[in-house]
Amino acid sequence: MISFLKKDLLVFWRDRKEVLISILAPILILIVLNVAFSGISIDDTDELDVRAGLVLEDDEAAAFKQFEETLREMNLAEMEINAMMDQAKTLSPSGVMVSFFEDPELSSWIHTIEMSEEEAKKQVENGELEAIIKIPAGFTHDMLSQVMLGQPADTAIRFQIAEHSFETDILASVIDHYIETLNFQLALDAVTKDEGTELVLPQGGRDVISENIVEIELAQYYTIAMSSLFALFIAATVAVKTATEKRERVFNRILLTNSSPFSYLMGKVISTFLLAWIQLMLVFIATDLMLGIFPEKLSEFWLGIIVIVTFFSLTIAGLSAIFTSLTLRMSNINTANGLFTMVVMVLAALGGNFFSLEQFPNWVQELSQWTPTGVAIDLFTEFLQNGNAISFAVPLVKQFVFFCGFFALGILLFPERGRS
Amino acid sequence: MIETVKLSKIFKGKKAVDEIDLYIDEGESIGLLGPNGAGKSTTISMISTLLKPTSGDVKLNGKSTIKNPGEIRRILGVVPQEIALYEELTAYENLKFFGEIYHVKKNILEQRTQEVLEMVGLKKRQKELVKTFSGGMKRRVNIAAALLHQPKVLILDEPTVGIDPQSRNHILETVRKLNEEYGTTVLYTSHYMEEVEQLCKRVYIMDHGKVVAAGSKEELLSILSSEDMIQVTLSETSERVVEKVKAINNIRRVDVTDKSLRIISKKGSSILSDLVHAVESEAIHLTNFQMEKPSLEDVFLHITGRTLRD
Ligand SMILES: Nc1ncnc2c1ncn2[C@@H]1O[C@H](COP(=O)(O)OP(=O)(O)O)[C@@H](O)[C@H]1O
Ligand SMILES: [Mg+2]
Repeated sequence: MISFLKKDLLVFWRDRKEVLISILAPILILIVLNVAFSGISIDDTDELDVRAGLVLEDDEAAAFKQFEETLREMNLAEMEINAMMDQAKTLSPSGVMVSFFEDPELSSWIHTIEMSEEEAKKQVENGELEAIIKIPAGFTHDMLSQVMLGQPADTAIRFQIAEHSFETDILASVIDHYIETLNFQLALDAVTKDEGTELVLPQGGRDVISENIVEIELAQYYTIAMSSLFALFIAATVAVKTATEKRERVFNRILLTNSSPFSYLMGKVISTFLLAWIQLMLVFIATDLMLGIFPEKLSEFWLGIIVIVTFFSLTIAGLSAIFTSLTLRMSNINTANGLFTMVVMVLAALGGNFFSLEQFPNWVQELSQWTPTGVAIDLFTEFLQNGNAISFAVPLVKQFVFFCGFFALGILLFPERGRS
Repeated sequence: MIETVKLSKIFKGKKAVDEIDLYIDEGESIGLLGPNGAGKSTTISMISTLLKPTSGDVKLNGKSTIKNPGEIRRILGVVPQEIALYEELTAYENLKFFGEIYHVKKNILEQRTQEVLEMVGLKKRQKELVKTFSGGMKRRVNIAAALLHQPKVLILDEPTVGIDPQSRNHILETVRKLNEEYGTTVLYTSHYMEEVEQLCKRVYIMDHGKVVAAGSKEELLSILSSEDMIQVTLSETSERVVEKVKAINNIRRVDVTDKSLRIISKKGSSILSDLVHAVESEAIHLTNFQMEKPSLEDVFLHITGRTLRD
C-alpha cells in the first residue's frame, strides 16, 4: 500500500504542471476575485463616478420631538428622558447618513445632491442620476425607538438604481456598510451607556429591515467555495491518472503481481487525501497571508480549520475511489472525464460552491445538507461566524460516513479480472 | 508444468483464440509464432490470468488456475507487448515500485534491481526518466520489470517489435542466458521466425486463433521434407515466363519477388532442364540459381499459403 502511495505521489510530483495548476489555481483565482471585489479601494476611485439623488423626507427635528413625546407617554422620569434625548441626538441616524456621504473620500466619487423625490425620479429618467437614496419619513424616529426602546422598526433606507452597474453595486455595498457601521455604533452605545439594561441588538437594513443575519464576508465565502471546488477536482485528477496507468498498461502489470485491489485503491485514496489536504491548507494560509481574509484569528481558529479540512479531504478521497474504479471500468477516458466533471459540478452546485442557496426552495437546501460540499461549506461558514461554539459532531460524522460509503462503493465497483 | 486445455476466447462473436492446446515443461524454451492478429497476445493474457477464457482452462501442475490465479501469478514473469512502465518515473523508480508490489523482500530488492538493470544493460542510465529513453531501452526496462521476482516462467510477448538491431540482439541474448544459464522456462512470442528459430527448442505456430502446427524445429521442418526450394534470379521477369514456369511438371508453387522466383517443387524431381528451357524460350537469362534450406517461414507458407508478414 505504501508502495502505491509513494508511486502515486511521485508520479503526481513529476507532473509539475498539474501540481501547480491544482494548488496555485485556486489561490490565483481568489486573488483576482478579491481585487475585483475590493474595487472601492482608494486608488481606484478616480475612475468611479456615481451621481445619486439624496431624498431626505425625514425631518430630524420633528423626529426628536416625536421621540420625546413617545418617551413621555412611557411615564419615565424627567432626568431619564433628558439623558435618552441627549443620546438620541448624538446618534442622529439620518444625520450620520448625510455626513457619511459628505466624507471627503466618498464624496470624491459619489456625488449626492439633495432633492425632492419627484425631481430625483425625473433626473433618473433623463439619465442625469444613476441612483436615488431615499431616507423616508419617520426613519430617525423608527431607528431611535428600535435601538433605544427595542421596538420593531419598519422604515428602511430606500435605494433605487436606474440600471445595474459596477458603480451602483458598489454604492449599494457602501450603504450596507453604512448600515453595518450604524448598527455597530448603536450597539456599542447601548452597551457603554446603558450597562444595566439588556443589550438589544439593533437592526437596520436596506429596502427591508431584515432578520439579523451575521453574514460572513464575501471574500471568505469565495475562499471557501473556490478552494472546496478545486479540492473536489483533485478526486477527478487522480482518477484520470488511473486512465494513464490503464493506457500505459501498467495497471495490467499491477494485476499480475497479486496485489489486492484494496491496496491499489488505498494508494489513490491516501494520495488524494494528502493532495486535497495540502491544497486546502495552502489556499487558506496563502489567502490569509496575502489578502488577510481571516484577520485576527488565533491558533484555536486554525485548529478548527485543520479539523474541518481533514474531514472534507477524507470525503474527497472517498470520491476518488469511486472515480478510480469507474475509470478502470470505462473504455473511453474522455467519457469518464466528462462524467467526473459533471458529478463534481453537480455536487458543487448543490453544495453552494457557485452561489449561496439561501434563495432556493427548502428542499434544495435540505438536499445540500447531504452533499459533501454542502456539509463542508456550511460547517466552514458557521465556524467562521461562531467559532468553536458550534457543534462539530454531526457534520464531521456525516463527512466520515460519506468517506466510508464512497470508499466501499469504490471497492465494489473495482473491476474484476478480465473486465479491465 | 503449464498447459492449456481447449483454451478459447471470443470477442464480440469473433474467435480470437480457438481451442488451443499447448504445454510448457520446466526449463523449456517455447516459441509461439504467428502473424499479427493470430491470437498470440490473447493466449498469453489468458495464461497470465489477465483475461478470463470464454471456455477451456489453463492448468498449473494439473490444477486449474481460473478460480485460483494467485499461484501462477507468483511464478510468472510477463513482458507485455506494450511498454508497461511509468513514463514519468526513472528506470530505477519503476523497478523499485514493481519489485515492491511483487513482494520482493526489502533487504534484497536493491540488489535485485541492480542485477536486472545489469542484465538488460541499463545500469548506467537507471536514474533517467523512462520517457527520455529510446524504444529499445524502454523495451529492456519492460523486460527487467518482469524479472525482479525471479520468475520460474518468463513469458515475452513480441519483445523486439520496432527496435534497433543492437537492442534486439541484447534482448535475445538476455533471454537465451536466462533460459540456458538460470534455467528459466521461456515462452517467447514473435512474428519473426528467425528469433524463434534461434531461441526456441519447440514451436507452436498459430494462425487465425488456431495452432496450425507444433513440434520441435526439426519436426516442423520435416513437414517440408517432401519439397525442394529453389531460388532463381532472372535477367528480367514477365507474366508469361511465370506462367510457363508454373506450368512445369512437379512445380507446386511460384512466388515472384522483383527479379527472382522462389520455386517449390516435389522433392528430388529434376525440373532444372524444363526450367532453363522455359526461361530461354522467353529470351530471358537465368543469372543465379540456388537450392535453399527451408525455414519456419516456409513451413508457415506451406501450411497457410501466406507469409508471416502478410
Ligand atoms: N479486447 C479485444 N476486443 C476485441 N477484439 C480483440 C481484443 N483483443 C484482441 N482482439 C482481436 O483478437 C484477435 C487476436 O489478437 P491478438 O491476440 O492481439 O493477436 P496477436 O497478438 O497474435 O497479434 C485480433 O483479431 C484482435 O483484433
Ligand atoms: Mg500481440
